[in-house]
Amino acid sequence: MNLPLNIDLQQILLHLLNFAVLSFGLYLLLYNPIKKFIKKREDYYRDLDNKAEEKLKKAEELESAYKKRLENVESEIKEIRAKAAEETKQATDALLENAREQAAKIVSQAREAAQKEREKILENAQKEIASMAVAAAEKLLSQSATDTLDQFLLSVKKE
Amino acid sequence: MEVLLIDKGTYSKSSLRRRRIIIKGKKTAIIIVWVLVILALLVGALLTGSAEKHETIKEVMRDAVLHDSNQISFFGIINVNPAFISAVVVSATLLVAAAIIRIFVIPKFKIIPGRFQLLLEQLVKFFMDFAEKNSPHRNRFLGAYIFGAGMYIFVGTIFELFGFQAVTTKGHPVALPAPLSDINGAITMGCLSYLVVISGGIAGNGPKGILRALKDFSMPLSMSFRLFGALLSGVLVTELLYYYLQLSFGLPVVAGVLFTLLHALVQTYVLIMLTSSSYGEVSEPHKKVKSNA
Repeated sequence: MNLPLNIDLQQILLHLLNFAVLSFGLYLLLYNPIKKFIKKREDYYRDLDNKAEEKLKKAEELESAYKKRLENVESEIKEIRAKAAEETKQATDALLENAREQAAKIVSQAREAAQKEREKILENAQKEIASMAVAAAEKLLSQSATDTLDQFLLSVKKE
Repeated sequence: MEVLLIDKGTYSKSSLRRRRIIIKGKKTAIIIVWVLVILALLVGALLTGSAEKHETIKEVMRDAVLHDSNQISFFGIINVNPAFISAVVVSATLLVAAAIIRIFVIPKFKIIPGRFQLLLEQLVKFFMDFAEKNSPHRNRFLGAYIFGAGMYIFVGTIFELFGFQAVTTKGHPVALPAPLSDINGAITMGCLSYLVVISGGIAGNGPKGILRALKDFSMPLSMSFRLFGALLSGVLVTELLYYYLQLSFGLPVVAGVLFTLLHALVQTYVLIMLTSSSYGEVSEPHKKVKSNA
């Protein structure tokens, strides 16, 4: 069959066969291995990226945990400080109270002792005064005339 | 230059100036010798004259288009057009180069690539990305096809620059043309590309895909003749330039090398672009849109 422009089916088929062999060979020898390597490299970098992202995430988590912990530590310190201040205040108050109580006790004991001393002094003074009075009376009696006493006694009797 | 820079520290200014003058003198001598050789070749060519022509320019051009007289015996089995010999040589060269690269280069690929590895990767990636961009749904086979086709068209077109000679069945020497400057080679590429597009349609949309691909029925014809026309024009211009001795100096550098390189790139790009976009169009899965009404 004569086709225009000397188109030859046999040669078309030969070209087709040649190109099929070439493209299959190029696919097997170049395209596929290089494509696989490119994919391998992409996977490698993706893996690196994922790992880095994972590490970053972990670091961020740690950072937030530490921050939280730091915040808690501050509040804990505040609590401990407040508690210590409270305890100190309570201890101081107790000490003061104790001191006051002791002071009051000492004062009352001193008062009591002073009272007893006074009473004792008064008693002694009374006794002395009485003895002095008796002595004075005895002295008067011994020095004055018995008449005067008699007269006095008689007047008292008449009355 | 590097030597001079290194020597700057050790040589005095006067010795440096002397060295520069010597180097400049050497360069001038090389240029003069080169120009003399060119002139000698030109004079030699003009004096010896061109070999006896067994064909007129009309016959040469006619044969470049029709290949009805100059045929080459393919291992004594069958007579074929010279372009088929070119196709076989190009394919063999590419396959041998690919095998060498596969055996000696690819196993030594590194994560951080060297220059040659980068070149190979960029080449493959260009076709991969091209297929992916034009046919996002289905591109695995397309990528492999346009890689093969692109390499074949580009290297095949560059091949005509070398001007390898073969002997025809009539005993005349003939320069091997680009494989696709033969209408049969161009028809093969055009029709095969169309078949690839149809296969994409079938793979993507089943029998309906064939119907979608059939609407571009003119594609194989346009692809084939575009390739044939573009590459044949290169062959004709080269034949014309080399047929006349007076045109063979200087002009082939522009008309031959630059135009060949340019149309090798353009034709490669056009074929893979048309095939990829058509493949992407027909293989795109079509979903039925439910109307709200």
